[in-house]
Formats: sequence, structure tokens, C-alpha cells
Amino acid sequence: MSSTKRIAVNVGGGFVPGLDAVVTGVVRAAGELGWSVAGIRDGFDGLLFPERYPDGGLVPLTGNAGEVLGNATRTNPFCVRHVNAENQVEEVDRSGELIERTRASGLDAVISVVGPQALSILFKLHRQGLTTICVPTSVENDVAATQLSFGFNSALSFAVDMLERVRQAARAAGKIGVVEVAGEHAGWLALQAGIAVCADAVLIPEIPYDLHEIAVRLRHKIDTGQASGLVVVAEGAAPSEDELQPAAVAFDAFKAALSPGATGRARSHVIDRSGFVAKTVALELQRLTDHATYPLVLGELVKGGPPTAVDRQLGLAYGAGAVRGLHAGRSGVMVSFQPPDLTFVPLAEAINRTRTVPADGMFMKVARALGISFGEREVRS
Amino acid sequence: MITGRVLNIQHFCTHDGPGIRTTVFLKGCSLRCKWCSNPESINPKPELAYNPSKCIGTKECGLCLKECPESAIFTVDSDARVRINWDLCTNCGKCVPVCPPIALYQFGREVTVDEVLDEVEQDSSFYRESGGGMTLSGGECQLQPDFSAALLEGAHRRGINTAIETASNVPWEFMEKILPHVDTVLHDIKLTDPERHKKWIGVDNVRIRANLKRAYETFPDTTFIARTPIIPGVNDDEEHIRATLAFIRPHKNVVDYELLPYMRFGVSKYGFLGRVYQMQDFEPPTAEAMAKLRAIIDEAFGRAASVAERKAPRA
Repeated sequence: MSSTKRIAVNVGGGFVPGLDAVVTGVVRAAGELGWSVAGIRDGFDGLLFPERYPDGGLVPLTGNAGEVLGNATRTNPFCVRHVNAENQVEEVDRSGELIERTRASGLDAVISVVGPQALSILFKLHRQGLTTICVPTSVENDVAATQLSFGFNSALSFAVDMLERVRQAARAAGKIGVVEVAGEHAGWLALQAGIAVCADAVLIPEIPYDLHEIAVRLRHKIDTGQASGLVVVAEGAAPSEDELQPAAVAFDAFKAALSPGATGRARSHVIDRSGFVAKTVALELQRLTDHATYPLVLGELVKGGPPTAVDRQLGLAYGAGAVRGLHAGRSGVMVSFQPPDLTFVPLAEAINRTRTVPADGMFMKVARALGISFGEREVRS
Repeated sequence: MITGRVLNIQHFCTHDGPGIRTTVFLKGCSLRCKWCSNPESINPKPELAYNPSKCIGTKECGLCLKECPESAIFTVDSDARVRINWDLCTNCGKCVPVCPPIALYQFGREVTVDEVLDEVEQDSSFYRESGGGMTLSGGECQLQPDFSAALLEGAHRRGINTAIETASNVPWEFMEKILPHVDTVLHDIKLTDPERHKKWIGVDNVRIRANLKRAYETFPDTTFIARTPIIPGVNDDEEHIRATLAFIRPHKNVVDYELLPYMRFGVSKYGFLGRVYQMQDFEPPTAEAMAKLRAIIDEAFGRAASVAERKAPRA
């Protein structure tokens, strides 16, 4: 291995607070080794379509790299749409060409900041010969191979902030606020935010919910003089199989058609990723408690804003860790935070795995101890 | 033996040409209309589809997990059903035969000309009664020129009337091969402006227009019917209708111009293929808007407006 290297950093997936910290971490750690760092614009687009960029798609990064590289929400070099010489649209595999261009640009390695989906693409590129180390990003914290993805802590802080406001507003208005947060497969964000604000109930994808139990609790609260409530729902939360869909929610056949997973009655929540579950739960709780509710969807909002101290540190650590990994001759791995260590996990073990909330985990115990309901069916033996 | 990639053979179609017809859908398309209602027809190769609502879950089954050589099928703890990692799937199809509830299936298969014609011929009595026959559709049926030409020629030899549905964005040599065996050509004219054509469809329409003009002139005895899928906000303007009429009216063998209202058929298939439908916010055109546009056509063809109430063919 040569002592001086030229490496690149790019971002697949959407913006997540702490992204700049990762890039800065890479640049500074590489600088310490005497390596130079370039940024590939918009995922791999900077290399695949250099003609689209005035700077040629590959920008040198120095110092505290606060530059926004841009990001590709769906960078897939294996399936690039183009118009061929016969004026026909086709999707072509440009992965080989991409790897060739990486070499031609004098890049020894690429550090990719990617979410769970783009991880698979980097896995395939590595299989084809790209030297790469991935850094996991996920505001839902559902990447299994790491304890903490950067971005999650900022999303959590923002969600807690918003929930606190919703609770004040709910109290003032004498209503039950139902707030939906990100979390299609894993309920970390809803659970941890719910704990932080001591919500009345938290609904997560891991536990099919029954609103009757929650309604009884809320009703009791209302009857004893606290005429407001706060329910946190993850967007992937689903009613238990035998719970009837509330008649009040008009079933939108079109939206149902958009999401094939939605065809089952109990799974109709996945119809509309954003907002559907909040609306459903708010309406049904209103019906069951005879008390006013209102839904609120935080949705994409949690993905913006400044990073928290935790995400700044984690981002810098991930960035520097990736450089350290390259320096040690690693490739095809993802940087993983396993407190207190920063380790490396082969990409093959990182893909296709989702970190969900274990039923008997610490956070669940804490939540139960605080009297937070999950809408579980009581299991009586 | 010429073979081709066929998506589906649909019997008793009434909107794909005259009479009762059997429509053969071919795989592969050279356009990417954002409103496409047959996304499973775009890829020229066989393609995996997955309907999660049919999956019986890994507790009872899980056979596909063992079958996939690419590890493209995986599970999530919070759900019993499998998931597909579309970025890893190579469409090898090995998971398809082991899936008991047919939640996993493959769009498209390789078939011979005779296999198709034998199936088409089963309904020949209906064709005779109704003046129907066989229609090749897609995808773009003209992208498999040898297969399509053989099918059409074979149908003629068996006394079956032929039609094709085409967008005409193919090399002229392909059309030259196919059109001699076609009785009725149903061809799209989706947008007039080349720039907007490129924006919504992926390529400009220069070749399409050149091909059509040449086809009208080269095959004067063939019946042509122009069509526009009316997408509100995209091409539901009178200018497009008038421009299309100006394009087709000088040619006497273009006997009609049909408008097909945009429908949301097929959106579920986007999910089954792991793709995203980009037209969620588009509403189908109103009946009034359609009638207004059709009136322009009726006037140009010098006929009574009553015909304008024709029912919508497939999107």
C-alpha cells in the first residue's frame, strides 16, 4: 500500500444532521495521514455525469469541510437510465465504468455515507472491486450492524422538542395529541422520544396495537381531571390482526393500490407512509374515548436542522474511523459503533438487517416502569 | 424457431382494435412515460414481482430465503413476511417456483411464435363473428421485430386479422419489417412539443413523427388510428389535439383519432416491482374535459358529436 492516498467521500441517501461532521472527520483524519480528499457530487453522479457539474463533479475538500456535497437519494450505478443512439430509453449497468472512472480520477478509495438501502449498492460495487468503507446514516436508527447511526440523536432531540410543545398545546386545548414520527420497521424514535416526554402511549411496529386498552387509560385520565393526552406513533405501527379497521376512515383504494403491503385489512396503515397511522389512530381514539384528538405528523422534519453534540462527535468519529480503516487496509466494511468501540463490520453482514426494538429490552422496561402503554393485548395464562 | 418475450396473452379485448380481439403483450419499451400503466412491460427481460399481501410468512414457509443465491430476500423482526432487496435481486427467478402462495412471480417468459398463435387461434370463432383478431401490444411490440413480424404473418396465414398498438419509437427498419403484416395500426401521439415530450416520456418525438409520416406514406392501404392518452396538466390542451389533427389529417389512411383518458390502472404493480409511482397527485380527466376535446376531433373528421361518447379504451 502506498503511503499517500487520494480518497473520495460521497453521500447516498437523504440529508441527515451530522453529515458535515462525517465529511469533516474524513478530511481531517486524512489530512493527518497526508492524504488528499475529494468529494463526489450527488452520490456517484459526479463521476457518472461529470458534464453536469461546472466543477467536473469531483471537488477537492480541505480543512473543516463544511461544503455541501449534495446527496443522491437513489444512486444506483447498476441501473442508470439513458437514451441510446437509437433514441431509446434504457437502463444500463454503469458500475464497471464507475469503478474505472474512480481509478482514472486517481482515487484509491471511496468513503460512502449511506442509509440502509444504498448500503446494498456499495456492497455490490465492492464486490466488483471498489475499495470502499461505508458510514451508516439513519434517523430511525434501524441499521442493525451498528448501535447508533449518526443523525438519530438529532432526530430524537427534535422529536422530543416537538412532543413537548404538542403536550403543552394539548393540555391548553384539552385534547389528545397523536404525533407520528419516522420508523417504518423499527420504533426506536417513537419509543425513546415517548419515554423522554413520558407520553401516555407509544405505538411501534414491533408491537401490534389494540387501541381499546389505550382508550381505557386515557378515559380514566380524563375522568380524573386531566383532560389531555399525548400518544406517539411510529409510521410503521400497525393494529393487531383481529382489530377492526375503524369505519370512520375512508379506505382510499388508490392509495391502497400504491402500496401492495396495504391490501390486508390490518395492514392498511402502510398505504400512505406518512400521516396515515396518525390519522387512523387519532380518529379511532376519538371514537373510543369520546374526547377530541388531533393528529400531527413530524415526517421529514426530523431529518433537517443542526446536529446535536452527540451527532457531531459521532459523525466526526465515523469519518475519522473510516479513514483509519482504509489506513489499516480495510475495504468492503461499514464503520460500526459498538460502545465504547468503533469497529468494522463486513458489508455482507450489514445489508438486509434491520435493528428492531426487542420486546424485553432496557428501553421497553423503562417505558413500562413509567406507565407508558403500548396498546398490547394482555396475555393471560 | 423464432422466440420472443411475452408478458401476457389477454383474451376478449374490445378496446385494442376492431371487434373482439386477443391481445398479446410483448416485453420491453423504449419510452418511460411517467404515467405508464404497465410498468411490468418496460424491462425487456423477465422480471421478479412480489405481492407481500400474499406472503404466508417465514414462520410457516420461508422457502424463498433458502433459494435466493443473491441474498436478495430478507426478513425484518417486526413483520413475518419476507422483503425483497431490489438492489440485490438479479431476476434469476429461482424463488418463483418455490413460493406456495405465488406471492413471488415473474413477469415475462420466452415463447415461440406457434405457441402464441395456437393460443390466439382458440378464439377464432369470436374473431369471425365480431370482425376481431389479434393485437400485438406491450411494451413496444415493434422492439422485437422478427418475432412480431413472424407472429403477424403467421396470424394472416391462419386467416386472423391483425393489429398493433405502438408508440413508434423504433428504427424504421423494424417498422418496415412489421407493418406489411398489419391491418390496423393503433399508434400513440402523446405530446407535440419535443422538449415536453422528452420531459414526460424520456426522449423527444422527432423520430416518432418521422416514422409515422413515413409509415402513412409507405403503407397507404393500412388503416392507421392515432391515439393520445389524455393526462391532465400534461397534454389535455386543445393545442395538442389540433396539432395532432394537423399532422394526421393530410393522410387519408389515418381514419380516426382516439383519446384515452388517463387512469390509475396498474399503480399497484409499481409496488410489486419495487418501483415508485411518480404520478400520485394526478387525477383522471373529467368527462366534460374529454367530451370537449373529442368534439374538436369529431369536427375535424366531419361527423356528429354523438360518437364522442365512446367508452374509454384501456389506459
